[in-house]
Amino acid sequence: MKIPRVLNRKNRILLKELTKTDFKLRYQGSVLGYLWALLRPLMMFAILYIVFSKLLKIGNDIPHYPVYLLCGTTLWSFFTECTSQGIQAIIARGELLRKISFPKYIVVVSSQLTALINLGINLIVVVIFALINGVAPSWSWFLVIPIILELYLLSLGIAFLLGAINVKYRDITSIWDVLVQALFYAVPIIYPIQMVAGTSTLAAKIILLNPIAQCIQDVRFNLITPETVTTWNFVGLPYAIVPLVIVVVILIAGALTFRHKSKFFAEEV
Amino acid sequence: MRRKLGTRTEVELDNGIAIEVKNLKKSFRLPTEQSFGLKQAIFNRLRGIKGYKEQKVLRGLDFDIKKGEFVGIVGRNGSGKSTLLKILAGIYYPQAGEIVINGTLIPFIELGVGFNYELTGRENVYLNGALLGFSNAEMDAMYDDIWKFAELEQFQDQKLKNYSSGMQVRLAFSIAIRARGDILLLDEVLAVGDAAFQKKCNDYFKSLHENKQTVILVTHSMENVREFCDRAILIEQGKIVMDGDPNKVADAYTEMLGIKK
Repeated sequence: MKIPRVLNRKNRILLKELTKTDFKLRYQGSVLGYLWALLRPLMMFAILYIVFSKLLKIGNDIPHYPVYLLCGTTLWSFFTECTSQGIQAIIARGELLRKISFPKYIVVVSSQLTALINLGINLIVVVIFALINGVAPSWSWFLVIPIILELYLLSLGIAFLLGAINVKYRDITSIWDVLVQALFYAVPIIYPIQMVAGTSTLAAKIILLNPIAQCIQDVRFNLITPETVTTWNFVGLPYAIVPLVIVVVILIAGALTFRHKSKFFAEEV
Repeated sequence: MRRKLGTRTEVELDNGIAIEVKNLKKSFRLPTEQSFGLKQAIFNRLRGIKGYKEQKVLRGLDFDIKKGEFVGIVGRNGSGKSTLLKILAGIYYPQAGEIVINGTLIPFIELGVGFNYELTGRENVYLNGALLGFSNAEMDAMYDDIWKFAELEQFQDQKLKNYSSGMQVRLAFSIAIRARGDILLLDEVLAVGDAAFQKKCNDYFKSLHENKQTVILVTHSMENVREFCDRAILIEQGKIVMDGDPNKVADAYTEMLGIKK
């Protein structure tokens, strides 16, 4: 794969058309159609809000907690959608890979672009909720963009790495499903990280070294309240760069694995 | 453990040669028993079982195809024709050997690649077009011609699942013939539609021949070989057993099959 060819005209057309198709097909035949992309995270939020905030009384000391929670679930949905779609992409498009020759990463990226579009729309909902909740608009909101890029690159790396292995060993899909469940509790989405820090500072620091946790906390910091505990202000240098290093390592390992294995996708899928 | 592989390069040269193939080899690893999944893979490794059988499909092919040649590739089922075509198209990776493709190559391994039953005819046309490398604007320009040629104008906004299989193939063929490239790779796409449509297809191939388009055609139809090809290559068990005059190759193939003419 030569660099200049990566996004040449033909590949761009292909990427656009595959994304459009993915998008159209995902909500085909459902009455509410695209609304589901909005409703699903909102419903997940509602359940978590009732259970954790109202019944278990968690997070009452955090300002704008409902938006804080919604922001976390939105980013989490994006991460899970992005990785699971990306991992499945090669198999889902197997028919295509066996019939035409094109850079294989296109199917992975196109499957994730739908998740990115969904995230964009859901973030608008988060912003609306934030404004209703009395969060003051700020320039720091724009810092959310590079953070989301980081989260996306992490998902891309995971999708490349696991998606490439998944072609031969389909167990990956199931393993990832379970892992995602575990990760959900390892990331401070439903519980505030302060709760962990209250028991063990070390545990809280370790949790914040997870790039997913770092991204979610950073988005909350910039979007909702500067009182958010982030990797930067809680762990500090030099360890604060660990999440970034993890993202870079996964991305490079994923890209290299994918590039090597993709030569044989057409035969193995 | 990295396997050493062959190469496939694309160039733009003016030397009159469209495709150059040197000592091309390909074998597939066929799983012997149930060797999918992680558990079996670990078991196999522990026991020192390979878990697959090496199936040699192409055993060293050498040939050149000149620009403007219409070449037929014939052979029995399982002789390696389609594998050869897929390697030329860049879908499979050559295991050993060297391939040089000179110019843009448009492969048709199958008609209607990417067709989706849940989408309408219109959406499928644009999708399939994109897979052939056409932009939206280019598709807009040829859109009406596609439907006219396929004789399906009134079904444009129907979902593809409501098309008969013949209609699908006609639509796909109608898009496919718009593709422009220096080299066309065709795999068994001649046998489509009813007699009237068949005639259109034959006219298309005739026009390719007259326009000196470089074509590689994999087919079982000796009529097509005799009618359109300038040259034919007979493959048997992954080796070229004959290469030359299409009539002679067609005769040899018919004899090989043991069918009386």
